[in-house]
Amino acid sequence: MSQDKKGGIKRRDFLKIIGVAGGTAAVAGACSNPAEQIIPYVIPPEGIIPGVPNWYASTCRECPAGCGIIVKNREGRAIKVEGNPKSPINMGGSCAEGQAMLQGLYNPDRTRSPLVRNDLGRLEPRGWDDAQKILTEKIEEARKKGGSGRIVFLSDHNEGTLGNLIGDWMSALGGKHLTYEAYSYEPLKEANRIVFGIDKIPTYNIDKTKYLLSFGADFIETWLSPTLYTRQFSEMHGYKDKSMGKFVHVEPRAGLTGVNADEWVSIKPGTEAVLALGIASVIVNEGMSVNGGGGFEGLLGAYTPEKVSSVTDVPVDTIKEIAKEFSSMQPSLAIGGGIANTSTNATETLVAINILNYVAGNVGRTIDFGNSLTLSGVSTFKEITSLVDSMSNGEVDLLFIYNVNPVFTLPKSLGFEDALGKVPYVVSFSSFMDETTEKANLILPDNTTLESWGDFIPDGRVHGLIQPVMTPVFNTKSTGDVILAVTAGLEGLKGRYTQVSYYDYLRDSWKQVWTGVPGGGDFEAFWNSALENGGFYSDVTPVQVSASGNMSGISFGEPEFTGDGDFYFMAYPSYKYYDGRGANKPWLQELPDAITTGVWDSWVEIHPDTAKKLGVKLGDFVKLESPYGTIETQAYVYEGIRPDTVAVMIGQGHTSYGRYAKDRGVNPLSILPVSTDKITGSFAWLTTKVKASGTGRHSQFVQTQYTTTQHDRDVAQVVTLTELEHGLHHEEHEEPDFYPPVEYDRYHWGMSIDLQKCTGCGACITACYAENNIPFVGKELVAKRRDMAWLRIDRFFEKSDNKAGFETRFLPMLCQQCNNAPCEPVCPVFATYHNPEGLNGMIYNRCVGTRYCSNNCTYSVRKFNWFTYKLPDPLNWQFNPDVTVRDKGVMEKCTFCVQRIIYAKDQARDKGRDVLDGEFQVACQQSCASGAIEFGNLKDPESRVAKLSHDERGYRVLNQLNTKPNITYLKKVKWDKA
Amino acid sequence: MRKRITLLSVPVLSLAIFLGLYFFDNAESSNKGPVQPVRFSHKIHAGAENDQIPCQYCHSFVDVSPNPGIPSVKKCMGCHTHIAGRDVEYDFGGTTINLQQEIAKVREYWAKKEPIPWNKVNTMPGYVHFNHKRHIKRGIECAACHGDVANMDQVYQVTRLNMGFCITCHTENAKDHEELTHLKDCLTCHY
Repeated sequence: MSQDKKGGIKRRDFLKIIGVAGGTAAVAGACSNPAEQIIPYVIPPEGIIPGVPNWYASTCRECPAGCGIIVKNREGRAIKVEGNPKSPINMGGSCAEGQAMLQGLYNPDRTRSPLVRNDLGRLEPRGWDDAQKILTEKIEEARKKGGSGRIVFLSDHNEGTLGNLIGDWMSALGGKHLTYEAYSYEPLKEANRIVFGIDKIPTYNIDKTKYLLSFGADFIETWLSPTLYTRQFSEMHGYKDKSMGKFVHVEPRAGLTGVNADEWVSIKPGTEAVLALGIASVIVNEGMSVNGGGGFEGLLGAYTPEKVSSVTDVPVDTIKEIAKEFSSMQPSLAIGGGIANTSTNATETLVAINILNYVAGNVGRTIDFGNSLTLSGVSTFKEITSLVDSMSNGEVDLLFIYNVNPVFTLPKSLGFEDALGKVPYVVSFSSFMDETTEKANLILPDNTTLESWGDFIPDGRVHGLIQPVMTPVFNTKSTGDVILAVTAGLEGLKGRYTQVSYYDYLRDSWKQVWTGVPGGGDFEAFWNSALENGGFYSDVTPVQVSASGNMSGISFGEPEFTGDGDFYFMAYPSYKYYDGRGANKPWLQELPDAITTGVWDSWVEIHPDTAKKLGVKLGDFVKLESPYGTIETQAYVYEGIRPDTVAVMIGQGHTSYGRYAKDRGVNPLSILPVSTDKITGSFAWLTTKVKASGTGRHSQFVQTQYTTTQHDRDVAQVVTLTELEHGLHHEEHEEPDFYPPVEYDRYHWGMSIDLQKCTGCGACITACYAENNIPFVGKELVAKRRDMAWLRIDRFFEKSDNKAGFETRFLPMLCQQCNNAPCEPVCPVFATYHNPEGLNGMIYNRCVGTRYCSNNCTYSVRKFNWFTYKLPDPLNWQFNPDVTVRDKGVMEKCTFCVQRIIYAKDQARDKGRDVLDGEFQVACQQSCASGAIEFGNLKDPESRVAKLSHDERGYRVLNQLNTKPNITYLKKVKWDKA
Repeated sequence: MRKRITLLSVPVLSLAIFLGLYFFDNAESSNKGPVQPVRFSHKIHAGAENDQIPCQYCHSFVDVSPNPGIPSVKKCMGCHTHIAGRDVEYDFGGTTINLQQEIAKVREYWAKKEPIPWNKVNTMPGYVHFNHKRHIKRGIECAACHGDVANMDQVYQVTRLNMGFCITCHTENAKDHEELTHLKDCLTCHY
């Protein structure tokens, strides 16, 4: 030790002393006793064992599809939502929205107690008794004014006990009950009435078809029942026994559904009717119709392929080819009804599609009117517009808003917001401060689905039961209970409902379901089995229909467009946000859009030629101008859209609705006119032509994948159907290796992913976030490529000889659990290593964050925690207690849901045996509605995954690098024969 | 020279503090461990000369769940509704307590329907997933890790429960090579 001339200590010595002293302090500190507490139950709840999960069956209410769900509960908290395998709708699958419903439950921006607007115009918290008293007074006030229809209850589609209760309550109060759904499919209903005399939305049997022709129906995204149809589509379009079905999609834009088609046919917006009639005409004229035209010959005569081609921009050859395939590949099915064909002639279009189905003999085979959707019963757009009128005219005294956000989801030009201001008293039951609720005078926050009793009947087969899977997070109350409590205090209505709680009311209502069941047995047994199964499921006999050839009054005219711009404007529903309700869930915001891989924002899709003409490129801000307003958003240049069309997703552009949704992106509905379908008067979305121009502004377009090509690496492989028919030369041989192969004793976990079945919907990604406590990082960090997704879906646009000129390939990419892993030898601290069951282990507490592994990973699937991501209360209640929450400085990645593997092994050991094939599923596999993912033990030659690993379509990504992955991909199959 | 001593005194003093704390923390004393809101004596409840209640009577989930479970207040009251305790002084590992007064505290929690906020004695970091069930089903005695709790008044941590402790036991008790491989696998506990 040395000292300098001035005395004191030198820097070097100072550091030594600090080092020793600091070390001592650290050691001393580490030895102290832990300050954690264990809080016991005062009275232990029945059936809860700390550390052991409980599963409750319920019904999803994120969209009107009504899928069954099962919810995992640990120590009283819901931590994971999965599809209910017993539900005939989704059969175990789910979508990203369903997975994310937990972030609705635990949303930090939920309304935490009743709120009352005070004299200063501010909302202030109140107790439930106070709030209910105010409501009672307001109802009495409105009733005293007399007249009917002055009290209005505007709810979402709520078929079931609550819907009935609201209806009954309104009739008791002399009010009316309207059910509003942004996507109501009125033209579909009306077209069925015109052609078949049935005013219903049927169920389609896509799984039974060989040839599916969709006119804009985005059935993988939002159309009617996306999880049901994704599952059916996978049945129909999956490759098995040397064959598969063919899917042709007709839409001005190739969205997620469009890019999954074997052929995407780009059509001039609004001319789908003409194309459908043209195809039907060819079928009839060439004698391919099963019923010789079924009386439609006269009508169809005028639609020659040449004439149709000139109207629709679809080549004559394509029309003839579709006609031939549609009639020869039986049974076939044509569907329509998405936003893409809601022009002013929407009903005519669907009538034309019905005629097409009829002449091809599909009705009754692939269309089932017996099992129709209850969505058929929602209020019409005409009723909604007349409500807006009566609100503006001061004819509504009291308005109840339940589970709808019309200020956001109705076009601004309809003036709902202004009309709302003219209603003296508005009561909202929303648990979220959305655009409509923030204008209410009284807010009585309802429980979310996961906290309530209830039921929902989506179609003829399913009586879905909703049960609370945990006690309410906040001081919220079920709306059914509020109605019962308030009614008891109303003059003359005291005895109307004998039930004290909505739970009793629900049970009484289910007694009627029970009496209708032949051999229903004891009610308690029936009720308990419904609770266990998530509802009551029954079969419905198919209804045979025939078409009436009387089409008088249907003109099949030209669609009308307003605005003098050059571009058709398409506002399309989002499979992540639906009508905007999903936008407050950060998992959905961070889930990359399948086409653009964009996150946390809006964009406008523009064709490359158009972009060139406008002088804009990716990320440039584009101004879209209609006579009703202007929006500005970033350009995404995409060849899957017509040069004369631009498209913006619905769901973003909230001005309220919580921190994750607010001021993010644009709302395309704000520039739409109130155009309607000529026949039904329903809202027509695709009726505007906009002006588009560059603004000169540019910023980075935040996306998760910055390339669209595979750069000749052939990671997402395809094989043609002809090649498969002739038999692939599939050989498996061990490459010579310097090292001996890894040996496994009992388990060797492996996965297979069928690229023919994967639709790119992203449900697996959200399921992975939920299961593995993966943090969302926000737009700014995604921009720096710091997103934390363990599982991503790479999408590639490849040049192709198909009609579109390009094809899309999706490649779910996750840790490949290499047997010869490049990440393992470079870790200086053995934080990543090969486990004796074939997993590439990642030990978080051992990791020191050198990031060498990530640098060496062939597949770029390792994610580094640049920060400690703190979740606001109570969003963190969702954390899976079986998975470590990682801190900053730690690398993380997929470990094949090792916590589930360990749990399954633990359960199997209790039974004294090994884990059986299919006994448990990993999170991504479980969520996949199309069944693209298989997981299991490769050591067991009889397991499904072991068999698939030797499939002729099987390959390993970047196999030439000899990483020996445990994931087998099955090549996508390409239609190449007529 | 004087300055050199000053300079040296810092590490020497640090070392002294370190050793002092180390031995203090590891010294044998029945009064170690966190002081609990109720001076609950395991010795009285489970001790060989006393009530001999089996561990699983209160920690009842230990063979069905990764978590052993701690008794609910209701379970305490299952006995203490009837047993008020003797009004006597008791040597609680060096501290004198009155048994009846301690039981009165439990009854008070019950009357208020409040949980007793016990302090955790044996704790594991969040990145360790220890499964009690597997160990109990294998026939491992509670005492193997927790020590002779039945003879403790105030419970304290007997072993440091660090990884070396786990691995030593795993290595000694593995049935065969296959089991040993799995018992030494990091992913068995860290995920």
